[in-house]
This record gives sequence, structure tokens and C-alpha cells, in this order.
Amino acid sequence: MSFDADVIIVGGGLSGLSAGITMAREGLNTILLERGEYSGAKNVSGGRMYIHSLLKLVPDALEKAPLEKPITKETYLMFCENNKKISFSFEEKGKRNSYSVLRAKFDRWLANEAENLGLLISYSTNVYNAYREHEGITLETDKGALKAPIVIDASGVTSVVFRSLGLRNFSPDKWMLGVKEVVKGNGLEREEGEAITVVNAIKGAKGGGFIYTNKDTLSVGFTITFDSIPKSEKPAKDLVEEFREKMGIEGEVLEYSAHAIPYYGYKNLPRLYDKNVIAVGDAAGFLINDGFTIRGMDLAIASGMVAGIAVKKLVESRNYENTEIYYKMLEESFILRHLELAYNRFSVINSSLSLYPDVICKVLSDMFTVSEDRRTLISDALIRLKESGITLGKALDDLRKVVL
Amino acid sequence: MIPLLKRLGLNTYDVDSTSHIQVDTDKCVQCVGKPCTISCPAGTYEASPDGKIIVHYERCLECGGALVICPYGAIKFRFPNGGVKYKYG
Repeated sequence: MSFDADVIIVGGGLSGLSAGITMAREGLNTILLERGEYSGAKNVSGGRMYIHSLLKLVPDALEKAPLEKPITKETYLMFCENNKKISFSFEEKGKRNSYSVLRAKFDRWLANEAENLGLLISYSTNVYNAYREHEGITLETDKGALKAPIVIDASGVTSVVFRSLGLRNFSPDKWMLGVKEVVKGNGLEREEGEAITVVNAIKGAKGGGFIYTNKDTLSVGFTITFDSIPKSEKPAKDLVEEFREKMGIEGEVLEYSAHAIPYYGYKNLPRLYDKNVIAVGDAAGFLINDGFTIRGMDLAIASGMVAGIAVKKLVESRNYENTEIYYKMLEESFILRHLELAYNRFSVINSSLSLYPDVICKVLSDMFTVSEDRRTLISDALIRLKESGITLGKALDDLRKVVL
Repeated sequence: MIPLLKRLGLNTYDVDSTSHIQVDTDKCVQCVGKPCTISCPAGTYEASPDGKIIVHYERCLECGGALVICPYGAIKFRFPNGGVKYKYG
């Protein structure tokens, strides 16, 4: 049986390119198939990358990668009933840990780096089916069939390879919709970048809004779990406009985009490997939301790099079924560790986050109000919790999960 | 609020000659809530007066949501060969 390559990567986003770069450096015979006319043509992300993984992949990335601004200011904004709102900011000037990015630019640059290392990328190549054949995987594309003994599924959340092999069972509560606009700049006077996270901006929507400052533009977006869209006060097509107007952001809108986001959490991750196939990045469901950080891109790059090394071992041993080694390597990396660490906060954010802003706003309103009636902070909080139908036990349990 | 079609018009599309989305409209006739009409960020699915769904596949932003928004499994979706081309992403 002849194969077209030792390994085929499906998808030329961050995870696929990171796998490709790693394997090109290891001298493996690799083909990468990208659906877009160029890498990034089909990608959308909120737009903030924690760069530690990137610096492992491309050590001099800070000098040459098309990053936007270093994020050195974090702002949280929570809307509550009757026009009350809470906000707070944390600033750390000079910090260089995360950057705003625009993926159409960024991925194109990374693909160029990969090609310079000798990676073969076939653009405008749409993989729409995959099946097992002759101890390998056959991929059906609009340009014909391609076969390899090992395939890396880097095709994003819809994971076409695993899905075609019957290894995915999607549900609307485990995916989020992200809608986004890129807006020509205002509010960009600050030289370093800012990230604004917004809670409860749209009633009924399980999710939140974000704003990142880029060099000349703002990334303005809203995320929502697919199962809560019918309960939201606005349909999907109006979410980002409603959010932009609520935040008072004006300026020319340059692009309107949308993308599904994996939102599984550590304990609900989908299959990450099977005989002859490995999933990386969004296709593996690697996303972390721990209330402080929302991350997928560093996990995509790191999982691609791990996959590249795992595949090298498979090719050397000629045992293409032993993909469990990829999982073992993931366990040893920060990837699964961080996903596990975040899981408690992730589950509280998903199950009860929307319950608390109104309670907190009521308590703050009480504390900032002077009348003859006045309670201690703790007794006021207990009364307001009870009014909102949250038992003390639940509040303490959520608090424990958030802190631990 | 900028109308949807105007916003979609900001993007570059290379529209395929045939639709990459098929809807089993017999199932749609039975569907009361028609969640696809509110869950698609591109307004791809439109209810017609006879209870069926009209697909404006050329609007698709390729978010992938079509794989989870229909509770009856009436939407058959694969990514188009052409489609949307993001400049910022």
C-alpha cells in the first residue's frame, strides 16, 4: 500500500502549523491541507494570545511575528439590574505575557515560516470526509483522495477527521458561538493594549463580551453557548451590534465574523486520539476559561508541537496505531494540567456565574447607601443571597470551587 | 444597528455555484421554534410561510454552528470550497 506522505495535517491554523513546523524540523515527510486560500482566511479568534507557547515554537517571534499590542491592562465590567454596573481594572505596564492578534495576518505569517522550513502546504484544499483503509486514513478532498498512515486533525472545533470516523458527538451546550467585529480605531490612545471582559451585557445570554485593543483597530465580540441563543433577548445576528452599541463604541466597522468555540472543560473533553489519528487545538477541545484567562491559542500551539514529536516517534517505530503516546505526552505537558486546574472555576462560571452579579450589585448598593437602617456587610450579603434563591451552602460551595 | 446584510457585505466571498448546506424541509414543517433562524449569526436560515426553511448559503460565515443548532438533525452541512475570506479574523 502506498501512502502520499508519512503524515497529513488537516488544517493550517495555529495547531496544524505548529505540528507542521515541528515535523519539518524533524525531517518528516509531511503534507498540510488548508481549506482557505491562505492560512487565516477562515480563522476567527477573540484576539488575545498568551505567547509562552509561541516563544517555544519560534524563539525570536517577538521581533518578527505580526502581533498587535501587548495586553497590560485588564478591565472587568459587570452589568446588573436597573442600570447598576460594577467595573474594576488591573494594570501592569511593561508586561509582555499576552498580545492582541488578528489571525488572518498572524496565521499567514506563521504559514510562511513553516514553508521556509520546508513544510508542504496545499491551500484551497477542502477535506470533507475521512475513512480507514489499508491500515491508514484516506481523506476525501475537492482535489481528490489522499492517504497517510497517520493524520493530525487540526481542522478546528468541527474536527472533520474525527467526526467522519464517528468519534465526535456534538451538542449545543458544549459549543459557544463567537461573533466579532473589527472596528477602526477609537480609544486607542493608550500605547499598550487593554482587554475588557464584560459580563451580563445581554439578558439571557450565557456567555460574555470582550474588547481587545489592536494597533489600529478594536476587536469587539460576544460569545454565547449555542443552547442559550434561543433564550437570549437578541438573535445571534444582532448580538455583536447590540453589545457594541451598549459599550458606546463607534467608528467604521471593517469586518463581521463568526466562529464556533469548543467549550467542553477538562472532564468533558472529546476523544483526543484513536488508531492512526490525533486531534490538536480546537479539534481536541482545548479551551480554558478560569475567570481570569480565556485561552485557546497557546494550547493550540503547544498541542501541535506535542503532536509533532509524538508522530515522529510513531513514524520511527512504524507503529501508527500507538497514538496513546500522544496522550501520555499531553499529560506530562502543561496542557492537560492547566485544563484540569481550571476545571472547578470553569464549571462555576458555566453553571452559576449569572446568579451573582445582581446579588453583588445589591449588596454594594446597600453599602453605598446611608439611611437609619444599616446592616453589617455579611448579614446584608446573606439576606441578598437568600432573596435571589441562592442557599448559603451553594454560595460557599461555589466560593470554595472558585478559590481552590 | 448596522443591518446584517450590510455587515455581511463588508466581507469578501467566493460563492460556490451549488449550496454546501442541505436542509430536510419535511422536518422543518414539524419544527415549532425553528432555532436555526435565530441561532445562525449570518441569517442563513429563513422560515417561509409554509413552514419550510429557505437556505441563503451565500451568507454563511462558516462558524460551524450548523452542526449543533438543529435539534432534529435536519441540516446537512459541509464547508464550501470557496466561501468567506477574512482579512482580519
